[in-house]
Amino acid sequence: MKKIMVGNHAVSWGVMLSRAEVVSAYPITPQTSIVEELSVLCADGKLKANFIPVESEHSAMACVIGAAAAGVRTFTATSSQGLALMHEMLHWASGSRLPIVMANVNRALGAPFNIWGEQSDSLSQRDTGWIQIYCESNQEVLDTVIQAFKIAEKVLLPVMVVLDAFVLSHTAEPVDIPDAHIVDQFLPAFKPEFKLDPQNPRSFACFLTPDFFMEFRYKMQRAMLESEAVCKEVDGQFGEIFGRGYGLVEAYRCEGADVVLMTAGAVTSTARVAVDALREKGRKVGLLKLRLFRPFPKEDILEVIRKVEKVAVLDRNLSLGLGGMFAHELRAALCNEKVRPRIYNYITGLGGRDTTLQILNDVVYQTYEQPEPPEQSIWVGMRG
Amino acid sequence: MYEPRELMHSGHLACAGCGATIAMRYTLKALGEQTVIAIPACCWSIINGPFPYTSIKVPLIHTAFETGASTASGIKAGLDARGDKETTVAAWVGDGGTFDIGIQALSGAAERNDDIIYFCYDNEAYMNTGIQRSSATPFATWTTTTPSNHPKSQPKKNMMEIMAAHRIPYAATCSVAFPDDMMAKIVKAKSIRGTKFIHIYSPCPTGWKSPSSLAIKVARLAVHSKIFPLYEVENGDHYNINIAPKNVPVEEYFRLQGRFSHLNEEQIRGIQETVDREWERLLKKALE
Amino acid sequence: MAEQIILRTEKDMPYQPISLGSMEWNRTGTWRYLRPRFDNKISPCNESCPAGQDIEGAMVLIGQGKVLEAWDLFQEESPFPGVCGRVCYHPCESSCNRGEFDEAVSINALERFMADMAFKHGRRVTVKKEKKKEKVAVIGSGPAGMTCAYHLARMGYGVTVFEALPVLGGMLRVGIPEYRLPKKILEGEIDRILELGVTTEVNTRFGESLQQKDLKEYAAVFFALGNHVSKKLGVSGEDEDWAMSGVEFLRKVSLGKEVPLGKKMVIIGGGNTALDAARTALRLGAKPSILYRRTREEMPAFPAEIQEAEEEGIEISFLVSPVRLLVERGQKKLECVKNRLGPPDEDGRRRPVEVKGSNYFIEVDQVLTAIGEDADLATLPKKLGVQDSIIPTDERGATKLEGTFAGGDIIHQPHTVVHAIGSGKRAAIFIDCFLRKQKWEGVFDSIRLGERGNLSMRRYLTEEKERPPLSPKTVLLKDLNIDYFEHKKRKKTSRLPMGKRQGTFEEVNLGFPEETAVAEAQRCFNCGVCNLCDNCYIFCPDVAIRKENGNNVIDYDHCKGCGICVEECPRDAMVMEEEGR
Repeated sequence: MKKIMVGNHAVSWGVMLSRAEVVSAYPITPQTSIVEELSVLCADGKLKANFIPVESEHSAMACVIGAAAAGVRTFTATSSQGLALMHEMLHWASGSRLPIVMANVNRALGAPFNIWGEQSDSLSQRDTGWIQIYCESNQEVLDTVIQAFKIAEKVLLPVMVVLDAFVLSHTAEPVDIPDAHIVDQFLPAFKPEFKLDPQNPRSFACFLTPDFFMEFRYKMQRAMLESEAVCKEVDGQFGEIFGRGYGLVEAYRCEGADVVLMTAGAVTSTARVAVDALREKGRKVGLLKLRLFRPFPKEDILEVIRKVEKVAVLDRNLSLGLGGMFAHELRAALCNEKVRPRIYNYITGLGGRDTTLQILNDVVYQTYEQPEPPEQSIWVGMRG
Repeated sequence: MYEPRELMHSGHLACAGCGATIAMRYTLKALGEQTVIAIPACCWSIINGPFPYTSIKVPLIHTAFETGASTASGIKAGLDARGDKETTVAAWVGDGGTFDIGIQALSGAAERNDDIIYFCYDNEAYMNTGIQRSSATPFATWTTTTPSNHPKSQPKKNMMEIMAAHRIPYAATCSVAFPDDMMAKIVKAKSIRGTKFIHIYSPCPTGWKSPSSLAIKVARLAVHSKIFPLYEVENGDHYNINIAPKNVPVEEYFRLQGRFSHLNEEQIRGIQETVDREWERLLKKALE
Repeated sequence: MAEQIILRTEKDMPYQPISLGSMEWNRTGTWRYLRPRFDNKISPCNESCPAGQDIEGAMVLIGQGKVLEAWDLFQEESPFPGVCGRVCYHPCESSCNRGEFDEAVSINALERFMADMAFKHGRRVTVKKEKKKEKVAVIGSGPAGMTCAYHLARMGYGVTVFEALPVLGGMLRVGIPEYRLPKKILEGEIDRILELGVTTEVNTRFGESLQQKDLKEYAAVFFALGNHVSKKLGVSGEDEDWAMSGVEFLRKVSLGKEVPLGKKMVIIGGGNTALDAARTALRLGAKPSILYRRTREEMPAFPAEIQEAEEEGIEISFLVSPVRLLVERGQKKLECVKNRLGPPDEDGRRRPVEVKGSNYFIEVDQVLTAIGEDADLATLPKKLGVQDSIIPTDERGATKLEGTFAGGDIIHQPHTVVHAIGSGKRAAIFIDCFLRKQKWEGVFDSIRLGERGNLSMRRYLTEEKERPPLSPKTVLLKDLNIDYFEHKKRKKTSRLPMGKRQGTFEEVNLGFPEETAVAEAQRCFNCGVCNLCDNCYIFCPDVAIRKENGNNVIDYDHCKGCGICVEECPRDAMVMEEEGR
């Protein structure tokens, strides 16, 4: 069934189809309508979940940790300041090995105070042990939410589904709503091996000494690395059943490309248009959409760009002093490869500034112009 | 009515004479086995013992410092979603995690009237991190961050009044020196739906600089000197005093604890006046 | 106890940081430098009882409603609870820690209650040990002699009691009037002693029908002749035929003999004998009054006796001494002089000093003197070294003659019934040692109750290895944790109303009923002895005191030595000691 819906509602409907049992969230622009729609779905009886309207995002994550430990499927959503506020608890959730799914609407982090789209908030949480998947469209958002629960419950790590502020969250697109019965087959009920249960009393998220900490982190690291294959598998299954698969990355018109643009999130749609236009003009330009960001799908990326001369990484984010974080991750992943492209990093679209076709053309041309990538990131779309 | 078996093991890591363990022992007896507890960072995070061991016979989850109430709310929602409406969900939190860093989560849970029992075991300072002052530290007390020549200048925050203002169905103070009274109140709390707040006075011989053998005596004197009266508040406005104090002068209570050894006569007199005044206020509320 | 869990590699660990076992394996007992111990100590009542009674033990039993079992406990030490429960001066109540807290426990009344219940239920005593071939002679059937006979018979010895008077019981029988100690009670308790096989010969006075040589067939001898000779006033006229000793008066009345009964009777003296004689005379129809040379505070008679005498209308004049007895124009008179109190004499009481010129005369019909009694020891073997009416004895009650022991009022000890009983028991213990040729020096330490020399027969008759440990420390009020005790009024016994006392010898003190007795016994603090109040178990932060077969047991593997148990023990039945290295 097709419906026109904004990205935030796509999240809500994904959560409803996944039959989340406990939802806890605190409002922050531009996440608010996710939770508003969930409240309506609960009130209409379409979603049988306990909704806890907490008093801060930190409590929201603590609540879902408690609920997940009690053995139920849980969900929360937030953005920028709220995500940063729950930072401590993100570690706690992954360290406890709880399969929580969270939607993060990418928004700039203050100061200065700005509510528009940018990816720094989710990327600055890349060390917290959460799997991160970046979505390009509202359809992808709904589908990824469902996939996220399956991935999380398989590897027992939490999953963050990321969507752009306003461009996706508040923009209506046609979305095909999967059939609930089929979703149930794809995603059966959550049955954890261990849960808070008076019949089997234990302590969870134990206090522990240097004698044991490293081993638990080792296990998490292993799970995180193994989750790459799981993400691919789940996406493959989803594609078979629902006819829509997205892969961990997507290569668009990369055959014989001199320059490949690498993007993540809604800007990928604009980049497709830019690539088509440039190809018209005879430029051999391709597009690599990065979907799974953590764990970083190095092999899938290399398959596309190993022999490409130049990769222009578009970062709608900034790690102060370092530069764009996607570029950083790519460089780090490829540093030991004997054959690898030169990586150019472009900072654009911070604080919700529009990334236009013009800017994308500019990025491609600059990449062609410069034989070697400069050490520092190149800022495009600035004033003056 | 109470669990006759012990739900707390020996071998835990508490200091000798720890009041918090006596509090837990009788809380568990009153709650019974059908209980899940959330324990944020506090002495009990350590007392319970490290991985792979535990010291209590009910399931518990360790959680971050300020999340006692919110984790408990989440657990309750989760169990409820699973179809289990009987298991009692409790938060077991120190005074730091209740009065200070955790007050937001507690207020949130209380405002929502989430169906949990929130236990604050109060040893009147951040004991787990080494005896630093909290807003539960009484006036003029020595702590490592309020040295004797500049002891705490603010009075103890009145947490019971804050919880009463939330109009939760039940709030009560308890003392480890009166275990029967404590268990009766916890059993009563268990039977009520909504947020319940139990404030347990838990002496810490280590942090209070008193001999470990005097933990119970100090707890008893705290009640009988009216410094920590035992009372209940129902729905935020119906007060009931449980134990009539024997009007012991506060000096007798101070004398047993090194953390008060710097107090001079004038200070003690001032404190006695404050204690008497607060008691009159409480008495008036109870008689309404 | 739980085991330690060994996780060798990462693969042995669960994927989630969850617990796999309990902390019980952790022996936190190693943290200790002080350790607690259950340590039963001596209750002050036990320590102060010259009969060595386990008063605290009896209080526990009565408090549980086990009155007859309490009586059985008392029978281990003395055959005379019915007697003591009526006439003892109860040093136990004076030393009772509850006395300092609010009011002492009514131990005396409870002893009487126990004894009365035992009679009501026909409770008997039995011989404890196997029969022995030796025979022991007891001279005197007062409380000392009969108690000695009782214990020796229980230990299996043959005993013969020789008594000068026609009746058994000594001063209990002929010195204490019926309204204070009914003959039925005394005879009932004596009968129980006789049931153990003790033989008696009355009307047999040592030095007359009984001589030292007659005692050769006995392996040991116990002298307990008592003080039956009244002290002289030392004033002229005291040998007049209208003057008599109080002792003689009471003896004649108790034996049912005729006795002169002057209407206006004056009794000189302030002790129990004076009071007893006055109240007896009152009941026989005289109008007695008492003269005492010091004040009420110094009067040695029991305060209850003095109060009852005054209730009954007997006038007591204080600070009056007799000067002489005379007859003037056919009227018998007693010249008196008033006193004032001077400096104290050797026994600490202030000496009466005549007020010169304050003499006056009282018209009398009869005078009784009751200023104290002495023993008549003239016929005893010289080797005993009698001096000032006292036979010198050592701490066993043994005299200078081997195999001869002495007790009661004729040895150097306070002249009370209960001291007499204690000395009889002590002599029985050391006669037993003597006859079995045991070393006696070490015996004291294992059966002593505290510091006042009172001994426990029950401990003596228990095998050494079965004797429970007993600390020699006596518990005082400051040793108790009084936070656990509430103030509760002491229960009083009821008394015969005045109307019923006139002209009758019915018992004046009526005791109290069972519920009152049980409630009163429950006021006992059980000083120094664990009564399973469970405070130690309740307040242990480490669950290191556990219940095993109903008892509290300390788990030293886990006890951290915090000391809360010892501090919160209401009755000082625990102790903290340094951990042994």
